[in-house]
Amino acid sequence: MLTFLALASVLLLGIVPERSQAIVIYTGWERHGLVGSDIRLSCSFFSWRWTSEDVTFSWTYRPDGSRDSISIFHYTGGVPYVDNKGPFRDRLEFVGNPGRRDGSILIKNLDFSDNGTFTCDAKNPPDIVGRPSSVRVLVFETVPIQAGVITGAIIGVVLGLLVLIVVIYYLMRFLVARRVFSLSVSKHGKKKKEGPQQRQLWTPPPLTCYPLP
Amino acid sequence: MLMLAGIVVVHIATIIMLLVATMDSAWWVTETESTDLWYRWKFSDSAWHYTNVDNYQDAVEYFQTVQATSVLACIFAILALCVFVAQLFTLPKGHRFAFTGFLQLIACLCIMTAASIYTNTLHTNDSNGWYGHSYILAWVSFVLSLILTITYLVLRKKNE
Repeated sequence: MLTFLALASVLLLGIVPERSQAIVIYTGWERHGLVGSDIRLSCSFFSWRWTSEDVTFSWTYRPDGSRDSISIFHYTGGVPYVDNKGPFRDRLEFVGNPGRRDGSILIKNLDFSDNGTFTCDAKNPPDIVGRPSSVRVLVFETVPIQAGVITGAIIGVVLGLLVLIVVIYYLMRFLVARRVFSLSVSKHGKKKKEGPQQRQLWTPPPLTCYPLP
Repeated sequence: MLMLAGIVVVHIATIIMLLVATMDSAWWVTETESTDLWYRWKFSDSAWHYTNVDNYQDAVEYFQTVQATSVLACIFAILALCVFVAQLFTLPKGHRFAFTGFLQLIACLCIMTAASIYTNTLHTNDSNGWYGHSYILAWVSFVLSLILTITYLVLRKKNE
């Protein structure tokens, strides 16, 4: 039994380093940009292995409505190769840090023709099995107003104030009730003592309520 | 009993109106678009298209305040209904529904703030269009919630 376990564990330990595990690539989901501005597309990856010297990053671009992708950036052997013939010539810049697993690119002077999907594929040998990740770029003339920071801030502050007020109210009632039981004789104490007693004698209410004349 | 039912019905109607005013993007309507508070419907090529709101660049803070206060009005109106039902069972006899009235008052003030800011800062010089049903419902729910606030602050539990 023990020998069988020992053999099995040695076999498993032997097999695992031969297999490469999956690499997980992270980009954004959607990026908005104004016409004429610069946009930074980030790409990073998670891998169980150390970052190798042969790490590669490649970006491809597929315009909206088209089915073909075009390769626009490749980093390999420590050298970044940017697009010098395609739609992004002279507009693409590598701003990543491959040593830190960052393969981000910067696209300058956005235009409406840049609407589309950018796909980042990273490989960290021997970790090469993974799914490339895509980020959608939307170019606007003016930035759309959606529910933004101010909206959330106002809602959060008001609700927080309400919760605070309710908590403080019940805390004060609780504290005053406790002070009553520690005080022996006082007019304030007597008045408050009657309060809780009244509540104990109170029975469940009828389901009617009319205003007093 | 009838009065209780009436108050609850009016309160639920107010909540429904507030929800429609907040969620339906129809504060300002023209021939070809229905806009605010969250998205814009544009009519082109004989179909309605769902787009973003992107032209209040000089009044972004006011617009987001309208969004926030109308959402808060909905939240407080719903809270007031729940607290009213709870207070029906827990309030001592002869007491007023103070907490309910307080929450309903905040809801009333919030929707008043939202509608007032919208009226004052957006579409002031726009003659090409008219106010849509969400805007009208916002003002109607303001009136109803004001009436409900006064009712809750005046109403007392039956003292038998």
